Amino acid sequence: MSKKKVVHYINQFFAGIGGEEKADHEPEVREGVVGPGIGINAALGDDAEIVATVICGDTYFNEHMEDAEAAVLEMIEKYDPDLFIAGPAFNAGRYGVAAGAVTKAVGEKLGIPAVTAMYVENPGADMFKADAYIVNTGDSAATMGEAIPALTSLALKLLKGEEIGTPDEDNYMARGVRVNYFADDRGSKRAVDMLVKKLKGEEYETEYPMPAFDRVDPNPPVEDMTKAKIALVTSGGIVPKGNPDRIESSSASKYGKYDISGFDKLSEADHETAHGGHDPVYANEDPNRVLPVDVLRDLEKEGAIGELHQYFYSTVGNGTAVASAKKYAEEFAKELVEAGVDAVITTST
Amino acid sequence: MDLENQQRVKDIAESTPAEDIIVVLGGAEAQAAKLMGDTVTTGDPTFAGPLAGVQLGLTAYHAVEPEFKEAVDADVYDDQVGMMEMVLDVDEIAATMKEVRGE
Repeated sequence: MSKKKVVHYINQFFAGIGGEEKADHEPEVREGVVGPGIGINAALGDDAEIVATVICGDTYFNEHMEDAEAAVLEMIEKYDPDLFIAGPAFNAGRYGVAAGAVTKAVGEKLGIPAVTAMYVENPGADMFKADAYIVNTGDSAATMGEAIPALTSLALKLLKGEEIGTPDEDNYMARGVRVNYFADDRGSKRAVDMLVKKLKGEEYETEYPMPAFDRVDPNPPVEDMTKAKIALVTSGGIVPKGNPDRIESSSASKYGKYDISGFDKLSEADHETAHGGHDPVYANEDPNRVLPVDVLRDLEKEGAIGELHQYFYSTVGNGTAVASAKKYAEEFAKELVEAGVDAVITTST
Repeated sequence: MDLENQQRVKDIAESTPAEDIIVVLGGAEAQAAKLMGDTVTTGDPTFAGPLAGVQLGLTAYHAVEPEFKEAVDADVYDDQVGMMEMVLDVDEIAATMKEVRGE
């Protein structure tokens, strides 16, 4: 049987073109192996070989995401590969994003097995781990020796259509895919076993790992509240009556921006909550309980604050992914800054 | 080892027989010394530079190893390396370098 064809993607640094000063290198393709492909090819053994290497500068890829991805895909497709490998990118952020994006695109558009590898804290990991197989590596190229066998081992499994084990078994990042299996013991016994181990100070493995959330440093205090423009932002789902943007009652996929310039306070007649997962009666009865427009108007009249911003922003926090919430805030925070807002009061349910 | 230094070592190795070359390394950690040592013996382990896949087989010593210390002028050594010799983990570096040289 002839060897299966592999196309490999690397950045300008690993291609020996140069570092940061060459990061705007446009996509190019070279026949055969380049850089880490030497090691990968050796580890692939008799089953597969790298027939071409696509190289793109990290800055170029990230600044021309769509064009670069299309150009790179076209180069890859020409070789009609059986398998695609990108990286390893270790903790190089833009390289990780490029490797993740291309791996995802190859899997989706060319329909062949695709795999990449990087460090868990590489921004590319969080962005693409749900859509692509990303093998865990150390944070620097010093760990190339361990990264290559881990990467090729999963790549060969994918290539041969073998069953892929759990993220722990095959050393890739959890993709959020749930697979049913039969456990030997029922849940209550497993939970008690875990608790006993914990009490004894023994090692145990949780069946439901909690995500690690980052911490946010508080902003410096507002110097003069009497001149400050204050905006209201809520995850409590307050929306104009009838929920015009159809914000979902849980796992919200959007946020709304609503004008409150005409309101001295909110009321049952004009606003309501879109938030599910709790009894909404008290929020609907008096929406100011969640979004305190009434009190802020008072403070505005008393001169305690400069003014209340014309718009409030709202989404539903119930079951909404932290990553989505972060994305919404990144968008509207820019608008708030542009509108000259000095401080934001965030409220929940 | 950065790309320029790899190229320099490669150029020297092409014009001089390997047995006439000793590479003296100065990394602050055993791991860094190993990477550099591997680069000039079995090839760049990160596969990023001109020595990727190139086995020069050169002999490499770290500047804090006793072999190097004994071979150079004691005053100059004290002046140039003495300070770092005190703060670095010399034993670990020496053990790692022995491994790199296959001793």
